[in-house]
Amino acid sequence: MNYPVWYVPTFGGGLLIALVAIVHVFVSHFAVGGGLYLVLAERKALREKNQAIMAFVRKHTKFFMLLTMVFGGLTGVAIWFIISLIHPAATSLLIHTFVFGWATEWVFFLVEIVALFVYFYTFGKMDDRTHQAIGWIYFGAAWMSLFLINGIIDFMLTPGSWLATSNFWDGFFNPTFWPSLFFRSFISFMLAGCYGFLTATFLEDEQTRHRMIRYSGIWALVSLILSLPSGWWYISALPEQAGKLVTGASPTIARAATVAAFSMAALAGLLITLILLNPKARTRGLIVVVMIAAMGYMGAFEWTREAARRPYVINQVMYSNGILAKEVERINLEGFLKNAKWVKHKEVTEANQLEAGRELFLHQCFACHTVGGFNNDIVSRTKNMSFGAMRKYLATIHEKRYFMPPFVGNETELKALAAYLTAGLHQKPLVEAASAADDRGQMLYEENCAACHAADQLQPKMVGWSQEKIRTALDKLAALNPAMPDYDAPPADKDAMAGYLFGLNNPEAAAPAKIQGGTLYDENCAVCHGIDQIAPNLKTWSRQKVRSSLDNLSAINPAMPDYTGTAAEKEALTDYMVQQAGGAQ
Amino acid sequence: MNPSSLIPVADSLTAHWGWFQFLLMLTFPLHLLAMNAMLGSALIAFVAHLFPGQQYRDLSHELAKALPFLVAFTVNLGVAPLLFVNVLYGHLLYTSTVLMGLFWLSVIPILIIAYYLAYIYDFSFKRLGNAGMFIVLLVLALLLLVGFFFSNNMTMMIAPTSWERWFSVSNGSLLNLADPTLLARYLHMITGALAVGGLCVALYAQVVLKRQPLVAEAGVRIGMQCFSWLTLLQLVVGTWFLLTLTPEVLKGFMGGDTLATAYFGAGLLLALATLVTGFRRQVLATVWLTVPLVYLMSFMRDSVRSGYLAPYFDPATVPVSVQWSPLLLFLISLVVGLALVVWMLMQLPSLKKSARQD
Repeated sequence: MNYPVWYVPTFGGGLLIALVAIVHVFVSHFAVGGGLYLVLAERKALREKNQAIMAFVRKHTKFFMLLTMVFGGLTGVAIWFIISLIHPAATSLLIHTFVFGWATEWVFFLVEIVALFVYFYTFGKMDDRTHQAIGWIYFGAAWMSLFLINGIIDFMLTPGSWLATSNFWDGFFNPTFWPSLFFRSFISFMLAGCYGFLTATFLEDEQTRHRMIRYSGIWALVSLILSLPSGWWYISALPEQAGKLVTGASPTIARAATVAAFSMAALAGLLITLILLNPKARTRGLIVVVMIAAMGYMGAFEWTREAARRPYVINQVMYSNGILAKEVERINLEGFLKNAKWVKHKEVTEANQLEAGRELFLHQCFACHTVGGFNNDIVSRTKNMSFGAMRKYLATIHEKRYFMPPFVGNETELKALAAYLTAGLHQKPLVEAASAADDRGQMLYEENCAACHAADQLQPKMVGWSQEKIRTALDKLAALNPAMPDYDAPPADKDAMAGYLFGLNNPEAAAPAKIQGGTLYDENCAVCHGIDQIAPNLKTWSRQKVRSSLDNLSAINPAMPDYTGTAAEKEALTDYMVQQAGGAQ
Repeated sequence: MNPSSLIPVADSLTAHWGWFQFLLMLTFPLHLLAMNAMLGSALIAFVAHLFPGQQYRDLSHELAKALPFLVAFTVNLGVAPLLFVNVLYGHLLYTSTVLMGLFWLSVIPILIIAYYLAYIYDFSFKRLGNAGMFIVLLVLALLLLVGFFFSNNMTMMIAPTSWERWFSVSNGSLLNLADPTLLARYLHMITGALAVGGLCVALYAQVVLKRQPLVAEAGVRIGMQCFSWLTLLQLVVGTWFLLTLTPEVLKGFMGGDTLATAYFGAGLLLALATLVTGFRRQVLATVWLTVPLVYLMSFMRDSVRSGYLAPYFDPATVPVSVQWSPLLLFLISLVVGLALVVWMLMQLPSLKKSARQD
């Protein structure tokens, strides 16, 4: 709200950050662990007076320099560029809070560059002791860079007592600082071992190749094993909400965890194979798989760390959309648009509702949602919801799904956002939700049909129609009369309306339960799964099973929030779902 | 729409703003010097390809070897001033960055390509032969393009009146082309950069390449000619840039602001002096005059920024809540870091040898 938004609907900011960050993370961790790998491999060559190994280390240094200094250095700058584009407010907060931490990191970056240049260009031209010392300086400076960045990155996840004190050191040495430092250090050694593999396969001399592959393998395997307890320590240090997300409440993290587990298992297996294998044959194909598995492990970890922070970009401080948590209450009272700098409409009116809604979307949702794009597409995620349902959903969005930030603003603004997300994106009708559940179908009818034909005119035409027939007819109104526009609404709305129309000729029918159930489903479940999606799964379920599952939804899927409705509402919801699935067994 | 209403709220500072201003003014000229040396080396490496003779091939080759170092140090020395500018003017810079997001982000791939091309030019110099000149020309063109994007961002961040365009174009494809200062400022920067770059090449040739007299002579000659003629041209380009400034800012340099006028007067005198030493090919004397000149020029550039921002923002008004220990951490690290750098450079075989000879 304080800043303009870079609007790239197809990619969205999140995906771009993820792409740049994941690439950088591999290379930058390699830059740390690789420093240690180089000096120790050089020492091995010196001790064993092995020229072939020394030549290998030298060649590996060139590869290392070209990869880490050019690609690593510039993708590091790229992260800075991209986060200031996507999260300017958060970047500003991090820069201002930790400016001298960043400045210190810059000093180590300078030392790293000089050390690596000197190390590479003086191979064989400097006495061994001094050359080794330069190598150690490189590793020390690179590890210090990790030390510093680690503090700032973990601050974003666990700001700890900084929240109360605003003290630099409280933020820096935050609750996850140490576990993360150990974890990242081991990961960086593991990556160094994996990259060492890759370069070792290019060695012509078979014996040296074999030895360096084995050497790299032991490096990677030991580091991998050591990374596990530190990773566990990391997760245990997470605060309650983040911990919950990591242990199953977030679908993205659940996916990342699966990737991590498979990658880790594959990595360990392959490493052991490589160490034990007599590599008479070239093993490059195998090593490519090792690299991919190592990246899968690391990438899943980074993804988890990022996702565990949700709905914040800086935990407890700033939401992903740049809104400060401490300002929410005030803005709710005063209105978001009035407080936002980069909006055209400072107030919602009837005429500008959709435009204002779009501005609210841009400043509150676009940070994570693309519009018809690759990642978290808002269009497909809102297609099942009506305006009324959307309004209700937005009002408690953060309570229903913790990892979504709350809507910030007043009631009129919430309505405008709901209007944009339904009428703006899907041309859905802007009808208010019925005040009483069994009025809903009638209300929808009145909003959509009554202008041309009153209910009492229509009633005699539908004598003898089953509810299913009415429901089907609502899907293709143009077939009844080519002049009639299609009723473009979510299935639940049509169900509700069909129930109402059926009731006109069958007042004794148990329509209300169906209507209410449809409404409840629409408001509570449809944002993640339309009834059409789950109906096939429910076909084999008994009514009793459906009913009891509503008491404990997280048992079906840890990512699913429990349904908190009353017993009567659960019954109605059960009736609706069973009916939609093709009748109770 | 009132442009002031678009300016984001600045975050509070953790040290008096003067510290950041001091560090910015200290480190930015270092970035400029490295950047100038980088552009100058690329230009003269290219130009040397056009002359017949082994000494010119060798000159290009020596510059090809230096180029990757210069790119690395330009990037590194750019990080510090960019950080301090983020602290003082971040809320303005991020805004203009969002407006030109596509171009701003493209700086990274462009730099990566230029950097790798510089390595190719270096490592494959002999194999490439004269084809190398096209590679180094491409490197130069890419780096100049990066400079153009920087000029856009730096002028757009101080021109909130141009920000309203975001409401019609929000995909990050805005540049600051309508700004009357942009082209003059960019050309002023580039002319200055290539001139000082020429001087850096002359210095490198005279000091480092002295064991190859013919190469050194070629380097000093082309470098000093480049410096002197471009500095002469700068009198025209610089005046043009000065005249594109708003009357209020211009008046600052013409007596309205004592400090700005002093920078301008001293800068002009130094520039004229470098013309004399430059055309006489007195490398060291020119270097001693140029380093303070580059500092003065960055101070003037800062005055322009303050002048343009005067109606909107003054960093001195940002709230401060001081924390000394992080600043201390930085200063100690800086001393230790620089000591390590000096020690490592002293271990270089070439430096050790010349120390023994002395």
